[in-house]
Parts: sequence; structure tokens; C-alpha cells
Amino acid sequence: MSTEPAIPVRPLAGARPGDMRARLAQALADPMLQTALGRAIPGFRRMRASAVAEVPEWEVLRRLAAHIKDHTLAVLDRYLEQFEAAVRARGGVVHWAADAAEAQRTIIDLLRALGVHQVVKSKSMVTEEIGLNAALEAAGVRVVETDLGEYVLQLAGEAPSHLIAPMIHKPIEAVSELFAVALGAPRYERAEDLNRVARAALRREFLAADAGITGVNFAVAETGTLVIVENEGNARLVTSCPRVHVAVLGIEKLLPRLADLGVFLRLLARSATGQRASVYVSLLTGPRRSGEADGPDELHVVLVDNGRTRLLADPDLREALRCIRCSACLNVCPVFERAGGHAYGSVYAGPIGAVLTPALWGLRPARELPFASTLCGACGEVCPVSIDLPRLLLELRARVVREGLVGRPDRLFARLWTLVMRSPTRLTLFGALGRALQRLAVSEGRIDRLRGPLAGWTAHRAAPPLAAVPFRVRWRARGGRPGRGRP
Amino acid sequence: MSREAVLGRVRAALRSAAAVAQPVPAGAAAAVPALPALPDHQVVADPVTLFVERARAVATTVEICATVDDAAVQAAAWLAARGARRVVAWDDPDVATVAVRLAAGGIEVTPPGVASDIVAQADAGLTGAAWGIAESASLVLPADPQRPRLFSLLPPLHVAVLRAGRILPDLPALFEHLQATHPSGLPPAALPSALAFVSGPSRSADIGLVPVQGAHGPMEVAVLVVTR
Repeated sequence: MSTEPAIPVRPLAGARPGDMRARLAQALADPMLQTALGRAIPGFRRMRASAVAEVPEWEVLRRLAAHIKDHTLAVLDRYLEQFEAAVRARGGVVHWAADAAEAQRTIIDLLRALGVHQVVKSKSMVTEEIGLNAALEAAGVRVVETDLGEYVLQLAGEAPSHLIAPMIHKPIEAVSELFAVALGAPRYERAEDLNRVARAALRREFLAADAGITGVNFAVAETGTLVIVENEGNARLVTSCPRVHVAVLGIEKLLPRLADLGVFLRLLARSATGQRASVYVSLLTGPRRSGEADGPDELHVVLVDNGRTRLLADPDLREALRCIRCSACLNVCPVFERAGGHAYGSVYAGPIGAVLTPALWGLRPARELPFASTLCGACGEVCPVSIDLPRLLLELRARVVREGLVGRPDRLFARLWTLVMRSPTRLTLFGALGRALQRLAVSEGRIDRLRGPLAGWTAHRAAPPLAAVPFRVRWRARGGRPGRGRP
Repeated sequence: MSREAVLGRVRAALRSAAAVAQPVPAGAAAAVPALPALPDHQVVADPVTLFVERARAVATTVEICATVDDAAVQAAAWLAARGARRVVAWDDPDVATVAVRLAAGGIEVTPPGVASDIVAQADAGLTGAAWGIAESASLVLPADPQRPRLFSLLPPLHVAVLRAGRILPDLPALFEHLQATHPSGLPPAALPSALAFVSGPSRSADIGLVPVQGAHGPMEVAVLVVTR
């Protein structure tokens, strides 16, 4: 177990930092998960690619978005104050929470003071991050997730595994079974029928709830506007039916101007689902006004730090705070495509999760995550806010090594590697040794069954053997010279 | 005081990051990347045609009507085809003629001011739209006492009356409109309590990755684009 100070962030149910390898092995051996991921991920990639191809100024928008975010983050204190003043001007209340525990406490105290017993929620990563549902239930508040995917996961007692497709890991048969057991529904086989069951059950919840809790995609400093992006309509219901709306957001969600949405909404929908626009974008400015039939009487906004200022203070990693949670980097990542979200053990999976999680948990408990990447660079290419994810992953890897968080075998191997690679003589010697030894491991021209501590290298793939004649020898035979240009 | 604690941490973070990135003499302000100007809206030759084409691409039903009277006839036909008899309708000038015609045709039309369970029992919600956005086929729906949010959300069918002249090329054009009267920055009071951009029927593909319409909101959205 970690010796870091306890960080009140809930790792995924059953996940322990440090056993990522076990979770990866489990994910790779799970045929249902592999089928579900294989069906979903290539589709996401295709839809994104065609939506992006339709916008000739895409690269300009990405750079613009990065500049707007960098500016906002550089004077974040000013924008936070401006946002707070604007929310207040429209009759909303702003709360501040330094960490997950304080956020939980603030929201529980608030709901108690307002006499709230029943809460409906729309999908929100930050409330997953701060473990809000469990805390509310422990405090005697009934919470119902209303995003269809999240609703199913709540019934099943599972955690989401993808930023925008939370039950990407769950096949339809499992949903049918779950609805039969938990809701007494017939064992429907079609998605439309299952959707009807959930729709009817959730309609009752929307109309009965005292409070709605949502996340926020963007918060506009100039107007105090909360922007919520979705396709189902549940967030509109959550923010229109109950008498209280509690919006929870990380402090990095701010944008200076309403007009900045013209850049960010276009980037988000196309990157996330390949849509030109998400079905619903709600711009909420204050609680309902006098004479309005719907909308909340009270609006409470909870601004959460929970590790974000650690990234803000870190010039090498700060750009991770530009993230708009579109999940494009998850969908292009060859590791995520096979591992799924749960293997990461964190609320935030994929390349961006491997960068954000160390800020939330500290480097030691998250030390495996930056290595869950092939460094192929695809994540950096698709990021709509130009986060240089491969660079951030490398930077975190370097820190893991500097802080002595890699195991002795890895350190020993790296030292040996350095020793060999620094001298042509040693390299030649080791090459010869390798070619002699590999005879024991090569079968049918591939190395695919190493044993002992090296077994992991060939458990899921085959390695090519060392060439019979080394490249340097062939290079020289063609007249090339070491360290020089073409022969 | 969490407010001071969080803001204090933000300020400390900004100071220490600035000191590492580009040491500045004590008292001097660190350079802040400028807030970039935003690009102008796109120029679209025929925003109405683009709106219609893209609306159909997201399964929105669209009909172009020369007059509001034509729109009323079309709305009545849509309701009849679906066996709809109870309609909740915005109290909005663009909607009024259509609502009156529907009522005359035997449809029960309920104005704003009713409880949400009554709205939930309606067969259709009839609304106007402050603007249309061609690029994304979005309806822009403001909330106020005459224009409840739930009318476009709870009934299974949402019928919207949209003036062709209100169709803008893209979102930046909408924000330019909103800002036109506020050159020195948009005040919070310039916005309604809720401004919804609606692009097609409510959707989800969460269950088994099968796209479904009517996840929580309307299963169908039908737009009457009135050209005169």
C-alpha cells in the first residue's frame, strides 16, 4: 500500500493502486468486454474522423481553444471571482471546496438545510471523482442517476468505464437481465424496449425529486452561465423539474466569454461523438425567474479544487487542465481499446486519465498509469484543445523514475541497457550473446514464449528475433560509416 | 473559509508556476498569454436550405411553409397522424395562430401555467424558437413565463415554429447577435434563466450501443419553417 498521505478520492470499487497489471490481465481475458470494446471503439473513431474532416478550420479551432484555456488558467483567480460575482448577481449561491471530503460535506450540509431527501443526478465525472453518491447515501439521501448508462450502472453497483459511454463494457443481454431482476421488467431483447422501461421509471424520479445534481461542461465567467451538454435530455429534466439545482464543477471549467462557446461546443461534440452538435446544450444563468413555471427556485454552484491547483502550479503539466472530457484520446488509444476503462483503476481512464490521476492521488499510487501507453502519439493528434499528451506521459514517467518509484528489476534493466548502449564494443558483444541465447526461444521465426520475469513480453504478442546480421554490419558492408550519412 | 483557501491555492499555484517558467523580478507581473479574438461567423449562402438538410440528417422532421396558416395546417396533419389530441403550447406570437387553428380543429390546447405532470401527459408540445442555427440544425429556445422549458421536453412530440429569417449560419453568429447591444461585455441579465439549443430528438446509445430516440425527452421533433 501507498505511504502517501491519504487523499480522499475514491479509487474505483475494488481497485487498488499498484495492481494495474492484474486488472489488465483480467480485462484481456474477459471475452464480453473485448467484444463490447471491439464493437464500440472503432465506431467512435470513424464518427469523429468524418465529423472533423467536415471542418476545414479544425486545426485553427484547436489552437484557438488551447490559447483561450491557457489564458484563462493563467489568471484563473480573476475569472473565478468574476464568475462568482455573476452567479450571485442572478441569485445563485457559490460554494468552494478544497478537496473531495469538503465537497461532499458542503453538498450534504446544503441538502440537509434545504430538506432534500430525493436527488436526481445527470452524468458528471467530478461527482464520480469525489465519490458523491456513496457519501449522499450514507447521509440518508436517496440518489438516482438518470443518464441511461449511469442508471444501469447504479442498479448494477458498477462504476463507469468511459467518459461519455459509461457502460461501453456492458452488453445488452446484461442490461435485460438486470432490469428483470431489479425492476421486475420482462426480459426484453431490444434496446428500444429496455429504454422504455428506464424512461418510465426515471420520469417518476424527475417529477418526485427535491433536488437535481449535475456536472458542468463549461462555466462562463462573464455571465455566470453554466453550460451542460448532453444527448438524452436528462440533464435538462434534472435542471428543470426539482426545486433545487446543485451544479458541481472543477475550477478549470471556466471560459472568459459566452462567445468562447462558439469554439468549444463545435470542438466538443465533433470530438466526442462525431455529432455536429449534441442534441441538447443548456445555458443556465441563475435560478428560475419570477413567473416561470419550471426551473429551480435555488441554484447552488460548488467549485471543486481537489488536486487541480497541483496541476496549475506545475508548468510542465498545467496544460492537462485544458481538458474538456471529450474522450477522443480514449477512443484512439490502442491501450484503452483493449483494456477498457476499469483497468486504469481511476475514474479518469485512457491517456488523459493517466495524466490527471497522479494529480488527484499523488504520483506514488498512480505510478503505473503513465506507462499504460505505447507513446504512439494518436492521443495528442486528436485532442481538441491540443494537449500534448505524449509529452505529459513522458514527463510523468521521468518523474516516476526520479522519485525512485520503479521496481529494482526495472532499474537494474535500465542501468544495464544504458551501459550496453553507450559503447559500440559492449553493444556488439551483447548482440552476439543475444543471438546465441535466443535460439532457445525462437520458434517459427518468432519469439513468443519467454519465461520467468520476461514472460510478460510475449504473453500477448510475439517479438521478432534479433537479425542474424546486425544492421551496423550491413551498413558498413554498403559503404556507410558509423555516425555519418548515407553510404 | 474555503473560498479564501481555494483562491489562495490558485494564487499560490500561479505564482510558483510563473516563477519556474520565466523568473520575473519581484513586484513585476508575469506575462499572461492574451485572450485571443474570436473568428467571425461563417458566411452561408442559403442558411435555410442548410438548416433543413442538416435537420433531416439528425432525424428532425422539417416542413417549409409559406405562411403561418400553412404551418397550422401542417401541424394539424402531424398531430392527426399521431392521434395526438392534447397539446401544451407556448404563449408566443409565432405560435398563437397555429394554436388557435388547432383549438378550432378540436385539439385541446393548454397554455403555460400548468403543473409539470399535466405537461407530461400532453401528446405534443408546441413552441416557437428565438433562432435557428443552420450548421448544427439547432433550435434556440429561451425560457421565460410564456415559454416554459418542459413544453419542449416532456411530451413525446415537439413541434416548433421557426421564422426562416431567424435562421443564423452558426453559433458564433448567435453570440454576435446577443452581444450586439452589449459592446463592453455581456452582462448576466442579458441571458434568460435557461437558453436551450435543441438539435433533433432526445437520443441515447448507452444500451448495447443501439441508437434510440426518445431517451428521456421527445421521440420526435418537427419544425415548421415559416418563410413569410
